[in-house]
Amino acid sequence: MSLFPPGATEEDLERVYQSAHKETKIGFTDQGRFFGPHMKNINHLEVGISRVIDSKFTWVVEYLLDKFEKFTIWLKKINRKIFPRRMVIHGKERDSYITAKLTFAKRDDYAKPLHHMPVLFWAKTFFGGWRLLAQGFSDRDGMVRLEFDYLESRRYRYRSFHFEICQLTHVFFHEENPNGKAELEVFERIKISKSDLTGMGYNLGNIQVFYWEYRRDVQMPRVVIKDHDEDSPEYYSDGRNRAIKEQFIPIELTKKKHLLQIKLDPESISIPSIQADYPKNLTVAMEEKLPYSTRCDYWFGRRTMNGMNAATFIPDPLEPERFWVKYFGACTYEVNDEYAFPTVEIKFHIPSDQFPIPEQIITTGPVSSHEKDQFIRKSFTPQDGDQWEQAKRVARVSGALCAELDDHFAATHVNTEQFAIAARRNLRKNPLTILLFPHLKEVSLINHSADTILIGPGYIPRASALTAKGIVKRCEDMMGVLDWKNWRPMEILSPKHTYAQAENLFWEVVGEFVEDFFQKNEKKILEEWYEVFRFSEDLVQNSAEVFHHSIHSKPLSSEEKEREESRIAYYHERYRFDPYLPREEFQGKVRAMSPITKNPFQPDPGDMDNLKDACKYAIMMATFMHTWVNEHQYEDIGEVLYCSLGLRFGEHKEGIFRPESDYAISPDLTRATQMMWFSNLLSRTEYGFITRNEEHDIDPLFSEMLERKRAEFKNLYIEIDNIESRTNI
Amino acid sequence: MESASFPVKASVRTGLHRLWDKFYLWFFSQSFSWILVLMVSFPYRKRMSHDNGIGGTGQVTMVKDQKFPAHPFFAPGKVYPARIRHASATFLDDAMNCIRSMSIKFSDHHFKSPFDIEMNSGEISLFWSAYSFVQFAKLRKEKYGVEYIEYYKKYPEGLKGAEEALRRNPSSFENLRYYCKTPFLFIGEDQIKRYAKYRVRPFNDEPETGINKDMDPVDVGNQRVLPHETRGRNYLKYEYEDRVRRQGAKYLMQIQTRIAQDDDDPEIFNNMIPWDEESHPWHDLAILEIDKTLDWKESTLTSFSLNHMPKTLGIIPAKSIYDYNSLNYLRSHSEKARLARLFSYKVFGFPKEIPNNDIRNSGDWSMIQREKVSNLSRG
Repeated sequence: MSLFPPGATEEDLERVYQSAHKETKIGFTDQGRFFGPHMKNINHLEVGISRVIDSKFTWVVEYLLDKFEKFTIWLKKINRKIFPRRMVIHGKERDSYITAKLTFAKRDDYAKPLHHMPVLFWAKTFFGGWRLLAQGFSDRDGMVRLEFDYLESRRYRYRSFHFEICQLTHVFFHEENPNGKAELEVFERIKISKSDLTGMGYNLGNIQVFYWEYRRDVQMPRVVIKDHDEDSPEYYSDGRNRAIKEQFIPIELTKKKHLLQIKLDPESISIPSIQADYPKNLTVAMEEKLPYSTRCDYWFGRRTMNGMNAATFIPDPLEPERFWVKYFGACTYEVNDEYAFPTVEIKFHIPSDQFPIPEQIITTGPVSSHEKDQFIRKSFTPQDGDQWEQAKRVARVSGALCAELDDHFAATHVNTEQFAIAARRNLRKNPLTILLFPHLKEVSLINHSADTILIGPGYIPRASALTAKGIVKRCEDMMGVLDWKNWRPMEILSPKHTYAQAENLFWEVVGEFVEDFFQKNEKKILEEWYEVFRFSEDLVQNSAEVFHHSIHSKPLSSEEKEREESRIAYYHERYRFDPYLPREEFQGKVRAMSPITKNPFQPDPGDMDNLKDACKYAIMMATFMHTWVNEHQYEDIGEVLYCSLGLRFGEHKEGIFRPESDYAISPDLTRATQMMWFSNLLSRTEYGFITRNEEHDIDPLFSEMLERKRAEFKNLYIEIDNIESRTNI
Repeated sequence: MESASFPVKASVRTGLHRLWDKFYLWFFSQSFSWILVLMVSFPYRKRMSHDNGIGGTGQVTMVKDQKFPAHPFFAPGKVYPARIRHASATFLDDAMNCIRSMSIKFSDHHFKSPFDIEMNSGEISLFWSAYSFVQFAKLRKEKYGVEYIEYYKKYPEGLKGAEEALRRNPSSFENLRYYCKTPFLFIGEDQIKRYAKYRVRPFNDEPETGINKDMDPVDVGNQRVLPHETRGRNYLKYEYEDRVRRQGAKYLMQIQTRIAQDDDDPEIFNNMIPWDEESHPWHDLAILEIDKTLDWKESTLTSFSLNHMPKTLGIIPAKSIYDYNSLNYLRSHSEKARLARLFSYKVFGFPKEIPNNDIRNSGDWSMIQREKVSNLSRG
């Protein structure tokens, strides 16, 4: 087998790539039709049959319901216009007060004060008008004391009183707010009867607010969402919901058609026909133009370095210019009997100024239903002919699942969520809200959807070796190698290492942006340092257990120990985790996140730099790192036979080392269409980009700084307009 | 130069508001007192709260060396016959954690008097206006000696007042301190309008007993007798009876005054805020000597009214139900309830005495009246 397709050169292949890339570029053009199928929002997507409205009767009912909802929204809008909530305090004296103690609400959190929460005290007139009697914030102990004019409250015009606990929601940058402004939204409203106010003080007692509470059913920082439509700490913006409706219905309908075909007439459908029904992805388009172009060694090395996986190359200790890439497979995680997930180690030769050339692939673990030894090793080289081709496919598949779970879900989604929860729980008066909130919004929502669409009873446990329990455990472990401290972008190995160059370039932009923000806002950040302290405290105490600590505490066999040590070393390098840093211990576990500060009053030396680094890291993960892995899914796992998330053991002794034509090792028809649906869902429905700034929530300076680097990014095959401002898909 | 115009419209509007507020206060007070008449005083022969008490008689002598502004009613050396009544509110068990009271009348008649004053233990109160008193009454929700749980939760000052005023197992009524809290008018010989507050302490200034220390706010509403309590239901009344029989009881009545100003902060009338003792020191007013206690019947008959005051020492007019002075206004308007109770004694006879039995933590007055107990077991 050769490095390139027979008779082709590197230039041919690059030309094919450029042309196919252009051809398969995702466009957002589908506007739907008046009587076409509709979907309410992303929460109604399912890996089975999503709740798409295509029955005419349901459509009419839904249409009427939608009109009714719009009418009520319109009425509310009118009501707000007639009875505006002006922030003008009524009354002159301050002779009475209402008091309360705000705390979180969960069983292990209810004694924790909810500090600096904006609170308002309103009177409502008989005719519906609102009069503000007092406003303020809870103090550090969560105590609220709002003083108001008692005799003003006794006026006959007032019917009821309302104590409102607000949260900061969306940040907007407008001409009138060039430095950004966080909007207040009522989170909890407590009605107070007029007769209860008797003068002096009125104590609302301990108000336990179920506010961005941590889940305790998983050992990683996730937020509790009771109901994503009705009772959630945040909601998708209208634009986000619109985007999914417009972009995804055709894909959903294709999947629905396939599922019906499989049910009614399975003979009428095959993997190639499924593939043909979905929009062409990069590899399909390239194969059409130049067969074997995506299966050759050149492409394998190129995509390993600069594809969705963007692997980490560890230098071989003995041979120069030789590097190892490792995809750790099932290891000790719970797996099913159907799919293989071997650990794959690939040896590359990276000559200077060249893409990596694969030289050896080693698999460890079961690869057929006949052999279940988890330490069985197989080694392949380009001299192995067909088996080498099959080994590359196995490597691609293991790499894809690792990228999906470790790099995508854990390292960007959940990693960003841990910053989002800590920020939402603690930052209110601090200007960091303006810096961070736009990048941290909606991640908790999409992660909640991922729990069911991808994990829970979702796609990945059905289409790969790992069970839902195995996925969660793996994610918990991965969270144990994620820390902002001493994080650095990937080392650039050669001029062809465009991914690492892009990562470094984006890190530079984020660095400049954060520096500028701190220069402008340092005084206010210092004034509200207590919030930073609490932010740091939540971040640390709720972070996962350090991976190598959890591994070292388990009894392991010598083989397991060897594998785990190799994993630890590789993960530390891959996620740039500094194992030599002193770590905090909380509730008997050494925590992965480093503290930003330990001083609640003022920053100690180095704390301000810590804060900057943590902010940079959070923005980096939510934007570039997520965008990369997310948008490349369509390219790298958008063709079932090229790369899926799992290969079945099949019926033969060779197990997964079989040609692509053996569909018994590919995902079955249902999984195949679901996989196409899945990769399209994730790559096609992006919304909220830095430079497009659809919701005016991104600091124009950030867009501007990125714009200045447009050409440099373009040279690295990156369109800056496609870099998301937040992780919401 | 532009002439200053009188804001007629605004003044009329304010005037009408005030008129309405006053009318509403009057209506509120009348309604309240009629409810008392019809629901409590007449049918149950019951006071609103202080049924568990003991009376005494003696005399009150104005101090000679007076440091407060002269007033003819309190002329130095002047002596009045006196009648007092100590009570524990509102339970019928002296060993419970209760507010203790002292009411004084400058006469030896069960009702008629030139000067009555009603005082409770604690320097601040549990409510501060007629309106807050209604809420206080509404949220009592007493059960087995536990009450006001919700009230204390909602009203921090109410809780503070209770912590200040409740007395558990004092050794005697005599050694407690009693405060009138809401101020009264005081127009002395110099005709300068002043406000006055009164208090009573033991003449020998012996330390106060029964003060609750470090009470858990959660437990303030629990007024039940302590576990394994050996003190009886009437121990405090018996102690007072024995004490007076043995040595009499001697008190010092004191007064605090301040000159009325046009721009006085309404908070000076707030019974939750004691006046600063530096600028408004307490001065000795009179010595009160009790040499005889009254029996149950006479103690029950003895009633007090804030209307029994000289005009120059009366209550301060209130503007509305939210005004701090509305409390005294309400008290003064509830006289018909007292009269109804006195009338009920004539119609239904005197209520029975609190038995010295093992029914503890009780405030159930009507249960006592229904009890069939041999007279031998009483007293």
